[in-house]
Amino acid sequence: MIALFILIPLIVLAALGAIWKARPVHAALLLALSLSLVAVLYLLLGADFLGLIQFSVYVGAVAVLIVFSLLITRPSDETKEIARRPQSILAGLICAVPVLAVLVYSVSYSIGSDEVSESSPSQFELAELGKSLFTTYAPAVMAVAVMLTAVMIGAALFARDFNQRES
Amino acid sequence: MNFLANQVDLSNAVDAPAIWTTLEALPQLPNRLVEWVGFQMNAPAWLATLLGMLVSAAVVVGVFLTCFALVSLVERKTLARIQNRYGPNRVGPWGLFQPVADGIKMLTKEDIVPDKAEKLLHLIAPIMIVIPAVLALGVLPYGKEWVPVNLELGLLFFFAVGAMTELSVFIAGWASGSKFPMLGSLRAISQMVSYELPLLISAIGVIMMTGSMSLPSIVEHQSQYNFGFISNWNIFTPWGLVGGIVFFIACIAEANRCPFDLPEGESEIVAGHMTEYSGFKYALFFMGEYLGLFAISGLFITLFLGGWSAPFAGLEFVPSWLWFFGKLVCVIMTMLWIRGTWMRVRMDQLMRFCWLFLIPLSLLTIPAAGIWRFCGDGFLAGLLGWGVTIPFLIIPYIIITVILNRRLAPATRQYHFAE
Amino acid sequence: MESSANTENATASKPPAEQKWILPGWGLYQGLVVTAKNFIQSYYKKDRLTTVQYPEERAPISPNFRNFPFLVHDGDDADAGLRCTACSICEKSCPPQCIYIVLDRDENGKSKKRPKVFEIDLSVCMNCGICAEVCPFDSIYMDNEFELSKDDRFGDMLYGLDRLVKSTDYHAKIRPEQAAAVAASRKAAAEKKEAAAKAKAERLKKKAEEAKLKKEQEEKGGDAQDDADGTPTPPSEKGDTK
Repeated sequence: MIALFILIPLIVLAALGAIWKARPVHAALLLALSLSLVAVLYLLLGADFLGLIQFSVYVGAVAVLIVFSLLITRPSDETKEIARRPQSILAGLICAVPVLAVLVYSVSYSIGSDEVSESSPSQFELAELGKSLFTTYAPAVMAVAVMLTAVMIGAALFARDFNQRES
Repeated sequence: MNFLANQVDLSNAVDAPAIWTTLEALPQLPNRLVEWVGFQMNAPAWLATLLGMLVSAAVVVGVFLTCFALVSLVERKTLARIQNRYGPNRVGPWGLFQPVADGIKMLTKEDIVPDKAEKLLHLIAPIMIVIPAVLALGVLPYGKEWVPVNLELGLLFFFAVGAMTELSVFIAGWASGSKFPMLGSLRAISQMVSYELPLLISAIGVIMMTGSMSLPSIVEHQSQYNFGFISNWNIFTPWGLVGGIVFFIACIAEANRCPFDLPEGESEIVAGHMTEYSGFKYALFFMGEYLGLFAISGLFITLFLGGWSAPFAGLEFVPSWLWFFGKLVCVIMTMLWIRGTWMRVRMDQLMRFCWLFLIPLSLLTIPAAGIWRFCGDGFLAGLLGWGVTIPFLIIPYIIITVILNRRLAPATRQYHFAE
Repeated sequence: MESSANTENATASKPPAEQKWILPGWGLYQGLVVTAKNFIQSYYKKDRLTTVQYPEERAPISPNFRNFPFLVHDGDDADAGLRCTACSICEKSCPPQCIYIVLDRDENGKSKKRPKVFEIDLSVCMNCGICAEVCPFDSIYMDNEFELSKDDRFGDMLYGLDRLVKSTDYHAKIRPEQAAAVAASRKAAAEKKEAAAKAKAERLKKKAEEAKLKKEQEEKGGDAQDDADGTPTPPSEKGDTK
């Protein structure tokens, strides 16, 4: 319990730092720190699988990809200008508000009920998780898979275009 | 030795000579000693547990630091022999104290931090390189009784902490504030991210066969014997053979070793992300690299080469951890052999090899493992399994290597000024 | 395509080797076999491990190897047997001018035909061997000692007579052929010189007798004819075999 009270402010601090840090690489590293602290939080709560997945996916892949793309796409003054435009802010809001809404809804939903404390995550089985992922939540998994495939194809197309222009 | 024999389960080795059983229990000796002392001193339970943890951690770290020292010497000697040289032979007999001399040199060197470096990150990076390697070493089963930390999700844990390496390599490269480290770390990250995929995917077959992510149970599954004597190692199955080879290649790439040592190619970018480090920080990088090499070779052994299990029935009397370390020596010597033979690949060759060859092949091992599983056990089922899975693997392999390779490979390079 | 036209010409002379297609990556396996052979045979085959462990083992030095010059003396006494006459030919012909010679003179200022100071600065010497080539007295030759590292770059590298002079035996040891040829030519020259001296003595004697005879005749009547033979002994030929 004490660990939670130490961890959660740290997570929040790291996340705030990720937003306010001037240098993009610092921000990305702080984001990685915040994500890995969340993974530690999961581990402390007994959700081993989730914590390890969080670590390997978010710290190992996503943070690295963010850092990587930050480096190979040099942010020029022009991109800063674009970021300040009202359209960009609007687009950001359109992305952020639904996420916030979902978060607020799920948190407020779980505060009232006793469900959380009853189903202890330590009882959960890996095989159960796999089954539910590919039966109950199959559509969501498929949607994510399709999205990731689209992203990959898009990236490949971009890379291809880039290569052709060079030659 | 009485208390020791009492603590260790001897049911598996009743008729074995006493020397072997004692050897089998040897890695537990410090733990047993601490337990015994705790019992004599009437120590509280939490203290005994804590001390036990610390001691088992110390054993792993001690053993692998010794291995690191030895391998750094053996590597130089082996490479020297391959190149018709003697290698280090000045410090002590056969150069055995060369690692000590290297350590003294590293420790007494000036610690240089470049002006443009990010001081804090520059300091953190070498530490962050060593931590995941040590953590990963903690979950491997080295022997029947010798499992430092028995995690239910050991394999996942291994990959999760391994993911940290990429970030620390990036931090090392970026915090140095110099060009070569940056280039080196970009190379390293792109290589590690790419080769993590075949590594993970080829491990999935093993998880499917065992039905568990716990590394001790994966070894347990492989330590049975088919037809009474041939061990049930995963490398002896069609999917395991393909998966094992892919995994081994990906291991070499993850450990940044030749022929995939582009991140620190001396002739191209000095030392990659380690360029701006000196003294003990450089030694830490070196150590992290070797500990990571041991960890990933150990995982390869655990997943495909049967971990601590003996290759043939009737050889189980040899202590299980000796088998593990024997296999580790074989794997590392193979890596040294490869390093002494093959040349470094180009960046585009590296990426093409991973994405166009290793990943499709490793993806194939998943359905192949499924087919193998449904063929069942026994001689006829095994024959059927080989019969079905071999064409299943070979035909796409030929398609990939011959047809796709020819279509996608760039035209042979023309060197304008060579000859 | 345009760029390949260039290279086609270049590679046309050498047709590409016929590629054997046994296994994909066949060359890689062949390479592994080669290195494995190297590794294993290095433990029992001498020609797989050709390194000479230098301070303990030494490769034989070729008789043609030469670096810094040294001075030769005959006999046992380095001071008396010194062949050098301080003629300064080497000093003048030395390209980096690393040789410094002071002629030794007696109290009357007459040359003693030997050097008082003979110094070679080895840190300047470029091992060209011209001094050894030009020396008319078989005095200076090239040494083959190469372990000359010193603490002091000025004093220790300035070699005086004490360190330069070495015996003929040493010369015979490091460069037997050359030393033998030199010895032979010196011996021949010495014999020739001796013969010449003998002949001259005889001639002088004869002349003296003739003069005496003449004088006697002169005394009888007629003037005398004086003759002085001052032909110097020819310098010995160098027997340089290189």
